[in-house]
Amino acid sequence: MTKNQLRSNPVPDHVPPEMVRNFSLFTSPGMLPTANGDPHAAVTCVHAGPPIFYAPNNTRDGRGTWVITRASDQRKVLQDTETFSSHRSIFASALGENWPMIPLELDPPAHGIFRSLLNPLFTPQRVRALEPAVRERAIALIDTIAASGTNCDVMKDFAYPFAVNIFLRFLGLPDDRLAIFVGWGKDLLHGDAVKRKAAAQRIVAFIDDLAALRRKAPVDDFMTFVVQAQVAGRPLTNEEVRGIGVLLFVAGLDTVAAAIGFDLAHLSRNPKDQEWLRSKPNRIVVAAEELLRAYPTVQMIRVATRDIDFDGVPIRKGDYISCATMIANRDPAEFECPNTIDLAREENRHTAFAHGPHRCLGSHLARREIVIGLEEWLARIPALRIKEGTAPITHGGHAFGIDNLILDWS
Amino acid sequence: MRVIVNKAKCQGHARCWAQAPEIFTLDDEGYIEPGDIKVAKRDELKAARGARSCPERALAIDRAATS
Ligand code: HEM
Ligand code: SF4
Repeated sequence: MTKNQLRSNPVPDHVPPEMVRNFSLFTSPGMLPTANGDPHAAVTCVHAGPPIFYAPNNTRDGRGTWVITRASDQRKVLQDTETFSSHRSIFASALGENWPMIPLELDPPAHGIFRSLLNPLFTPQRVRALEPAVRERAIALIDTIAASGTNCDVMKDFAYPFAVNIFLRFLGLPDDRLAIFVGWGKDLLHGDAVKRKAAAQRIVAFIDDLAALRRKAPVDDFMTFVVQAQVAGRPLTNEEVRGIGVLLFVAGLDTVAAAIGFDLAHLSRNPKDQEWLRSKPNRIVVAAEELLRAYPTVQMIRVATRDIDFDGVPIRKGDYISCATMIANRDPAEFECPNTIDLAREENRHTAFAHGPHRCLGSHLARREIVIGLEEWLARIPALRIKEGTAPITHGGHAFGIDNLILDWS
Repeated sequence: MRVIVNKAKCQGHARCWAQAPEIFTLDDEGYIEPGDIKVAKRDELKAARGARSCPERALAIDRAATS
């Protein structure tokens, strides 16, 4: 930690200096866009240090957070929503506004009311019904890729169109604006302040328009369900409808695409793993869990609602607490040989989809998208490798990702 | 054997159900049905695996219970 960094990000007085470490999911080595990077391996260094420490610059806007490294401590934080609140208005703040994405930025008990409303739409049983369409889409995209050559950019040609198409289908919308949505998502998550604001405005306008349309002319789709729904005996407000629509828009695009990208990158770099899954396609379901453990994408942040002494760490009201899934999933106290990626690993209670009440609402859908994507790639395309002379660019941050992945099977 | 279900801890990960849908039944929201589960002898292995897979530690095994 240099004096310079300390000056630009003052550490609050209550944080003992010996608990401060020079670590950031945004700026540490391997976190900025890196050719042939492995951001997940880069963060494992924290496990050589104390279980909890303070990182002075660990959010997009340069705020300090406590970093919880142990999986068991993260569970405690994520399960204790009274002490560790999710209310942050991340999306609205890009617009200079203050309303929650729902249910992500609500705490219980309000959270539970909306979760109960949405849960039935995302159960594993419900996802089964969506599966044929998901598979059909994966096959169509892969067949187009196969017909047009022996290499492609998996992110551009498959992962994004696949994830966005499934989202649009869920909303009951046609595919024709797919590229526009991908662009909005990119700008929102990775753009500068100006781009973020513009993208946020467009997404809000799109959701508001769609809600208005479905109010006037209901059809059998998600947005119609939301505008017709009742919570606590009343219809939803416009702001609530927007909070749900916007969250659904941002939650399932980058996350699923990044997971597919990291997974196919792993299989391309590890031919033995690839061959094994090709010979045992029924092991893809288990392997996908190990890939979710090894390459998760989300950093969760909570805000302390009161002063608390957490295992000797003085957390004060208003402090940010980071529960990074990529850190917990490589915790040696939780996983045997956490940095060995063992596609046959059976005991695998990873935290890629969070713990506690905010457990990813889309987790059952996301799991099936990943498994179906891998199944169809391995079934339809011969031995994959990273195209010679190309290098996938990875990045850390609030959501880890992979920008390009040029695979070759010539 | 019996699986002790702590319904309050369940967050609907459905990992138990993924291991053994015939043993772990989910409600309309995709969360576990309340009430402990009696496990037949032939299902013990699967039930134990399902219980161990719960990320929230909502399921415990009581081996002493007879089915
Ligand atoms: C591999 C893909 C995905 C990953 C790794 C992922 C991860 C996560 C994580 C870690 C959270 C918890 C965030 C927090 O508590 O701060 C979360 C919440 C959420 N996710 Fe996902 N997600 C994925 C895909 C999806 C998809 C496809 C959808 C939509 C269909 C979705 C919808 C949601 C929603 C609505 C929440 C908020 C739940 C709540 O607050 O109760 N996610 N996700
Ligand atoms: S695995 Fe645990 S949290 Fe998930 S449904 Fe079963 S009991 Fe609930």
